[in-house]
Amino acid sequence: MTDVITMDHIVKVFPPNVVALNNVSVTFREGEIHAVVGENGAGKTTLMKILYGMQEANSGKIFLKGSQVHFNKPGEAISSGIGMVHQEILLIPEYSVWENVILGVEPTGYFGKIDQQKSRQKVKQQIDEFQFHLDPDARVEEISVAARQKVEILKLLYRNVSFLILDEPTSVLTPQEIPQLFDELRRMRDNGRTIVYISHHLEEVLELSDRITVLRKGSKIDTIESSAATKKSLAQMMVGREVIFESIRKTARTGNIVFDMSGLDYSFPQKRPILQNIQIQVREGEIVGIAGVEGNGQLEVVRIIMGLLKPDHGKIEIQGKDFTHASILERREKISFVSQDRANMGSCLNATISENIIMTHHRLNKRFSKWNGIVLNKSQIRIFSEEVRKSFDIQMDSTEAEIKSLSGGNQQKTILGRELSLDTPFLLLDQPTRGLDVGSIEYVHEHILQMRDDAHAILLLSADLEELFRLSDRILVLHRGKIVANLKTEQTSIEEVGYLMLEGGAQ
Amino acid sequence: MKRNLFVNLAGILIAMLLGAIVMLIQGYNPVETYSALFGYSLANFYSFSTTLRNAVPLILTGLSASVAFASGPVNLGQPGQLLIGAIFCVIGGLYVDLPPYLMIPFLLLLSMIGGAVWSGIAALLKKFFRMDEFITTLMLNMIADYLTYWAITYPLFEPRANHPQTPLITKNGFMPKWGNFNTNVIVMLIVFFVIWFILNRTTAGYEWRISGKNSLFARIGGVKIEKNYLAVMLLTGALAGLAGGLVIMSGPHRFIKGLGANYAWDGIMIAMVANNGIPATLLYGLFFSILQTGSLGMELITAVPSELITVLQAVIVLVVVASRGYFELMIAKIATRRKLKDRDIYPQLINENAIDREDANQ
Ligand SMILES: Nc1ncnc2c1ncn2[C@@H]1O[C@H](COP(=O)(O)OP(=O)(O)OP(=O)(O)O)[C@@H](O)[C@H]1O
Ligand SMILES: [Mg+2]
Repeated sequence: MTDVITMDHIVKVFPPNVVALNNVSVTFREGEIHAVVGENGAGKTTLMKILYGMQEANSGKIFLKGSQVHFNKPGEAISSGIGMVHQEILLIPEYSVWENVILGVEPTGYFGKIDQQKSRQKVKQQIDEFQFHLDPDARVEEISVAARQKVEILKLLYRNVSFLILDEPTSVLTPQEIPQLFDELRRMRDNGRTIVYISHHLEEVLELSDRITVLRKGSKIDTIESSAATKKSLAQMMVGREVIFESIRKTARTGNIVFDMSGLDYSFPQKRPILQNIQIQVREGEIVGIAGVEGNGQLEVVRIIMGLLKPDHGKIEIQGKDFTHASILERREKISFVSQDRANMGSCLNATISENIIMTHHRLNKRFSKWNGIVLNKSQIRIFSEEVRKSFDIQMDSTEAEIKSLSGGNQQKTILGRELSLDTPFLLLDQPTRGLDVGSIEYVHEHILQMRDDAHAILLLSADLEELFRLSDRILVLHRGKIVANLKTEQTSIEEVGYLMLEGGAQ
Repeated sequence: MKRNLFVNLAGILIAMLLGAIVMLIQGYNPVETYSALFGYSLANFYSFSTTLRNAVPLILTGLSASVAFASGPVNLGQPGQLLIGAIFCVIGGLYVDLPPYLMIPFLLLLSMIGGAVWSGIAALLKKFFRMDEFITTLMLNMIADYLTYWAITYPLFEPRANHPQTPLITKNGFMPKWGNFNTNVIVMLIVFFVIWFILNRTTAGYEWRISGKNSLFARIGGVKIEKNYLAVMLLTGALAGLAGGLVIMSGPHRFIKGLGANYAWDGIMIAMVANNGIPATLLYGLFFSILQTGSLGMELITAVPSELITVLQAVIVLVVVASRGYFELMIAKIATRRKLKDRDIYPQLINENAIDREDANQ
């Protein structure tokens, strides 16, 4: 096999003193799927951004088929056939799906007029070909994060790149969509394309990739053949210690009903009903998981619970009090919320880490203010930020740096740190471990289970069925806006839930 | 902070060099011109206190714009809010008479209420008709312009004058002076500290700043966006109104046609160069006042027309705003080079020009 890309002794330093990459050399071959794994903040994204021309290395060289190249911007990389799908999604929210896909390479007719018919048709064809359940006319701001990820992949497929970089693509896909993506990726590989694949899901990595490069804290540990690796050995290489994958859940001792949603209907104006007669009850000391294929109403359930959408009918009670029409702040006194939309809802990217950490706490916890809540207590904020940083092992330079300078996983840890330390009776966790490395997931899972044992009521949404099974005491299956099953975790299986998610059960 | 200072000073310096080139092309002597400019605005206590007095409305309207922009609302209504504040102040000063220690606070409060009423209208239009404050505040500027013109032409007209103006307000409402030093500066400084404190130390200020950056995040975090919007609009209106009141009380002591014509627009410009920073707004307000006050002297001593100062201001805004990103990049590079030296990583290969194009479009 011939080498396509060689990255030679790459060094990248972020001012003032974060060494993101320390002399990393990797070679990518033609026709291989090459996985890059490593802990949060190991430098995976940075390495790929350098290859893609989004960031420049401080030293080191890049060779494309033996000759040295230097991409000054992603556009140059794309015209050399290198494309990247980012961890953070970069689409234009106001544009429709097909408009986003063709942006920059629009088929034009006379006078450079965009041939709308033709381009829409072409995008639609591609969506069907890859079986990406997507509406080409939907506006990007109205679709879920998983759907946006698909749009990003479509964009590159549309541009016909021969070297495809995917940064944690499956973290937002549903289990049903992952095999489709994998099939497509394998087909692309067999056509002689190269795929670089960043992921924290070690099973996926082992299943899909031909070779694996492991990074740890900015240095390359090794590049190995996938056939020679196991999940345990990879985790060991990444983290530098052993990681336990067994379930750690003990049976629950449940108490009173904390969260009670009943008879809830929601329909988008003039469209089909989106949610019908939803009943969800969560007790003290219980974790209830919601399983479902993305787009079956999860987004709306979450938004209704948080008060961002008004239901048509139905009631939400927390600890016996009616919260159906409560303000967001009133809800936040009872609800901790981890959103799946890290960049828009979960954090303020250009505010500092400590400003991100005290959000909501600043209203709920007297500790952070003085003078009757009027003035912020700076020293308490500093102490608290340090606490969160320590207990969640967030890799950062200083709590006064902007949160966007953190790696994706470390941003997620910051958000988790904020929400899990709110100590509210009810927690709503939507994809809480998205983007975390195995070691961190282990820690967060333990933390969530500990909170359950401390009598919190937890509602968990996750596209990762293993995570649902690992944490939940009960699993609800959401299908086309209805809850079609309510199962005890011990009495069901991943296969059964997977079937219910697709077929909706006996109806 | 230090870094910011450097970026701004460098920007100003470049702008002044460009100004010097313009002067050379036009056949003026730049050294002479600049020394006349700064001489007239800074040379002695008298001229410096004039500069300070003139800086007050610039800084207050600048603070108004900075607070608004940093918190989200695009309040462009400082000109109108200033005029309404001024007319409220004049009405109070014509029909009420109290001893100075009551009269002065009363008039200051009245002018703040005037400005807040005017920005409050825009806030209500947003609340009830979803009209963008960006448009409505601009419209309200025009209405304020004609409304005050009407007021000083008819109901408040001073009969003996031959152009539209009001009579003098009561002497008890004049801002006291120590020599040529006008106490409006003290009011401005107090307001400056209060605003800095609100924005950086209070819970409300924290919420405003975060909402200005990502309002969805703030909302889901429990911040009452609508309430804060109203508060910011009223506060920034009050600041601009106060600027208007102080112009009356420290200057002509009456409303003359064309009063405060450009102060408020300059304030918006100052907020822009200051990148909505509160201390930076104070410093730029002062600097612009130095230029504007000095321009009179420049015109008197040299033949350079005072309009050149308008050009110079515009160049400063453009250069500082445009070069901000560039200088920051340069500083980042220097820091990287140090770090690389410390670590001794392939020194011969080091490229300290490495840039991050995260923000660039793909
Ligand atoms: N723009 C930036 N400014 C400063 N530091 C940065 C910047 N981008 C990344 N870093 C730092 O560089 C290191 C590597 O980050 P990178 O995003 O490459 O990690 P990653 O391996 O992709 O992690 P994750 O799995 O969490 O996404 C981290 O310590 C991060 O904080
Ligand atoms: Mg990453």
